[in-house]
Amino acid sequence: MVEITVCVGSSCHLKGAHDVIKQFQKLIPEYQLEDKVELKAGFCLGKCTEAVTVKVGEEYFTSLTPDDVQQVLEAVKKGAFKEEK
Amino acid sequence: MKIFTEAVCKSLTKKGEELCGDNVEIVRPHDSVIVVMADGLGSGVKANILSTLTTRIASTMIKNRASIEEVVKTLIQTLPVCRVRKLAYSTFTILKVENNGNAQLFEFDNPDVIFIRDGRIKDIPKQTIKIEERLIRVARLKLRPGDKLYMLSDGVVHAGVGGVLNLGWQWENVASYLEKWEKKDRHVSEIVNQLVKVCNYMYNNKPGDDTTVVGIQIKEPEYLTLFTGPPEDKNKDKEVVKRLMESKGKRVVCGGTAANIVAREMGKEIKTNFDLINPQVPPTGEIEGIDLVTEGVLTLSKCVEILRKFQSSDIASINFFSTIRDKGDGASRLLDLLLNHSTHLHFLVGRAVNPAHQNPNFPRDLTIKLKVVKELINLLKQTGKKVDVEFY
Repeated sequence: MVEITVCVGSSCHLKGAHDVIKQFQKLIPEYQLEDKVELKAGFCLGKCTEAVTVKVGEEYFTSLTPDDVQQVLEAVKKGAFKEEK
Repeated sequence: MKIFTEAVCKSLTKKGEELCGDNVEIVRPHDSVIVVMADGLGSGVKANILSTLTTRIASTMIKNRASIEEVVKTLIQTLPVCRVRKLAYSTFTILKVENNGNAQLFEFDNPDVIFIRDGRIKDIPKQTIKIEERLIRVARLKLRPGDKLYMLSDGVVHAGVGGVLNLGWQWENVASYLEKWEKKDRHVSEIVNQLVKVCNYMYNNKPGDDTTVVGIQIKEPEYLTLFTGPPEDKNKDKEVVKRLMESKGKRVVCGGTAANIVAREMGKEIKTNFDLINPQVPPTGEIEGIDLVTEGVLTLSKCVEILRKFQSSDIASINFFSTIRDKGDGASRLLDLLLNHSTHLHFLVGRAVNPAHQNPNFPRDLTIKLKVVKELINLLKQTGKKVDVEFY
């Protein structure tokens, strides 16, 4: 399982965290990653100046927009992130 | 049994006047609540000065355990004499409720206080005493949770005089109107808002007299502690969380970082909810042992916005408090806890500044989180809550 945590703190919320979440929810089935990815929301990942922040596995992505979601999922599909047991 | 008294008030100012000639003062010494309403002679500035002096003098003296005789004598000697009417005059109603439910009521020339118990109007047996040629109605009451009392200025009883109603609304009709709206879980400020709104209708939006309603509601005390914002000094994190967890009653955390601090100190996980019920309010979260976890400044600003809307009586619904219960977004859930499920609020406010909130691209409201918190506290006090604040 790769854990994807989308920050929903104040800054990320304002910058459209929910749209990013919706995009993940839409694309994860399209990439058939339902069994490989666990999508979560997180309270403040501590990078408020660079919203929206998303944590994939142990890596942080900042200033993410819904358009970037595709790229993240493609990387996940290729196995670029360490899976947790 | 210990009780808590919530008191709220609302006034209409006579048309054409800048100042209201009625005045209300609510003071809270540690063991009681004292509510004074006064209606000054005339209207405008003159009446405002008379009523303000009256409420201030009476509340301060009663707080310091002066007798009603002393209060009346002091008032007579202090109030300035009106040059036109050669009179120094202001009506008053004074209610003192102790935390054990014992209450004393003094009325001078104001309409009788309306007392509602178990959904019915109840008579208050009164004695009339004479002090300095003035007749004061005096009563002793034993109040219990659920009781509601209303003080009215004559502007309420006379609402509509000479316009829609020849004799005005009249006390009996006001009382039965209040009885009609009485419901066990209806908050007194909803009824006060409604009553003032109706008075304004009867005056056709041009009040012919200053109109004031004070609503008093007896409740069982309920406690809530709210922690928001990280402390300025990180070394205080532990202390704040300890204060929060040792508090009695409900516990609320507002703010992502604040929630992270609580979870870390307690060794618990935060579960964040996905669903966005209202796009303007960020999702809520859950930490074991905490009744509600929300995002910080946006949720709090939303609370302020909703409460402000409620206070401007024209659009407020009489079901405001109960509808908020069903909404489910973070701000509504927080307001439901604050308004419907607590009387004593304790705020633990961290003063650390989030650098992201100083970003000029962000709404200005964010840079002034402390201001939002202070405004929320102010609005909560206006709905009759007792609020203490501690800064970290």
